[in-house]
Amino acid sequence: PLDPASSLPQSFLLKCLEQVRKIQSDGAALQEKLCATYKLCHPEELVLLGHFLGIPRTPLSSCPSQALQLTGCLSQLHSGLFLYQGLLQALAGISPELAPTVDMLQLDVADFATTVWQQMEDLGVAPALQPSQGAMPTFTSAFQRRAGGVLVTSHLQSFLKLAYRMLRYLAQP
Amino acid sequence: ECGHISLSTPIVRLGDSVTASCVINQNCSRLGLDAQILWKLGPELQPGGRQQRLPDGTQESTITLPHFNHTQAFLSCCLNWSNSLQILDQVELRAGYPPAIPHNLSCLMNLTTYSLTCQWEPGPETHLPTSFTLKSFQSCQNQKDPIPDCVAEDGQSHCSILRKHLILYQNMGIWVQAENALGTSTSPQLCLDPMDVVKLEPPMLWTVGPSHAAAPAQPGCLLLHWEPWKPSLHMSQKCELRHQPQLGGANWTLEGPLPTKTLQYELCGLLPATAYTLQMRCIRWPLPGHWSNWSPSLKLRTAEQVPI
Repeated sequence: PLDPASSLPQSFLLKCLEQVRKIQSDGAALQEKLCATYKLCHPEELVLLGHFLGIPRTPLSSCPSQALQLTGCLSQLHSGLFLYQGLLQALAGISPELAPTVDMLQLDVADFATTVWQQMEDLGVAPALQPSQGAMPTFTSAFQRRAGGVLVTSHLQSFLKLAYRMLRYLAQP
Repeated sequence: ECGHISLSTPIVRLGDSVTASCVINQNCSRLGLDAQILWKLGPELQPGGRQQRLPDGTQESTITLPHFNHTQAFLSCCLNWSNSLQILDQVELRAGYPPAIPHNLSCLMNLTTYSLTCQWEPGPETHLPTSFTLKSFQSCQNQKDPIPDCVAEDGQSHCSILRKHLILYQNMGIWVQAENALGTSTSPQLCLDPMDVVKLEPPMLWTVGPSHAAAPAQPGCLLLHWEPWKPSLHMSQKCELRHQPQLGGANWTLEGPLPTKTLQYELCGLLPATAYTLQMRCIRWPLPGHWSNWSPSLKLRTAEQVPI
């Protein structure tokens, strides 16, 4: 297995940290708008609906610093980002006011996934084929898309929090 | 049609020759017209038309303008009719140059619109309608994944690629193609990551004190506060300060990089009871970027020296 500390270029880690901060900022902006416009401010009120809609979460279990398995961690990071890219695309048509924010968030998540995938290829640990998007939840009403927006963003923020901690650990001199 | 002009080419290089022929058909000439065909370039008659009667009875005149030095002119085919020159057909001639190779291509990433704006030097005037197209690919090595062409508006030497066409943090290949009726030229390719050409807006700089009179922690010092440009808050950056006493001919003094954790800085070593102009700028760092412009000036005055 790859030695985490030395195998990742510092510029890659700095770019990732910057991208995470940007996505977190995009996500916060979306959460603020969902709360201000539709009073959907608490993801915990939507857990049941989340189960019903089948909004998945993705682990970063290979990433904790005490047991960091770099290839597995990068792969989970990419898979997670790829999943959130799909989930955000599934929110298409959420509302005209939110669409620009969702589009920016989705583009930034997609670019971060590309950054990670490019690094995996550079390290020679990328699978031969790019992953394909699995089944996505189907939102059948405007409310479900908004609630889905709250849940997806909330899950994404938690995911990014873990990723940021891992990247900071790897980036420390 | 009474008469019809046909051209070798309506657009030539300045100074090249142009050949035109005009055919006057029978029903026009049977009106008893003096069938001598005359040529006018703009207002001036042009000698040298070679005229012949074709087998079908029509008259044809051919003329060659050896060195066409106008960027634009009308060529008319005429007949003399009861002492007045009758225009039977007219064509527009244009001349100019093929586009030079566009140069000095450079790009800046705008964090407000999140678009990549590239600009270039178009080269000398071609005198012809010339289009400039920004061509780009999501890779520098190959021309896979082309990005939609960005066509500059007429007369403009810049174009902006929208965020949705960009993959940030990946290198992309960009060049400019210039094209007019006389040819096409292509600039050298730029290979860049859009995020590495971010140019930040200046930070906001103000004093901590309630009014313009600074509230220095100690004499000869000024306590400053600043805030990075909001759209760049997610970027690690470094900033520098410059200050200049408002005394005739004084130079700027540069301070920096300023610590970015605390957005506050105590500037000391200044002259007492003196008005200062202060400005600040920031740059994405340690990742690549461009310095912002200097912030608007902040004018402050240091306190009087306390008599000992």
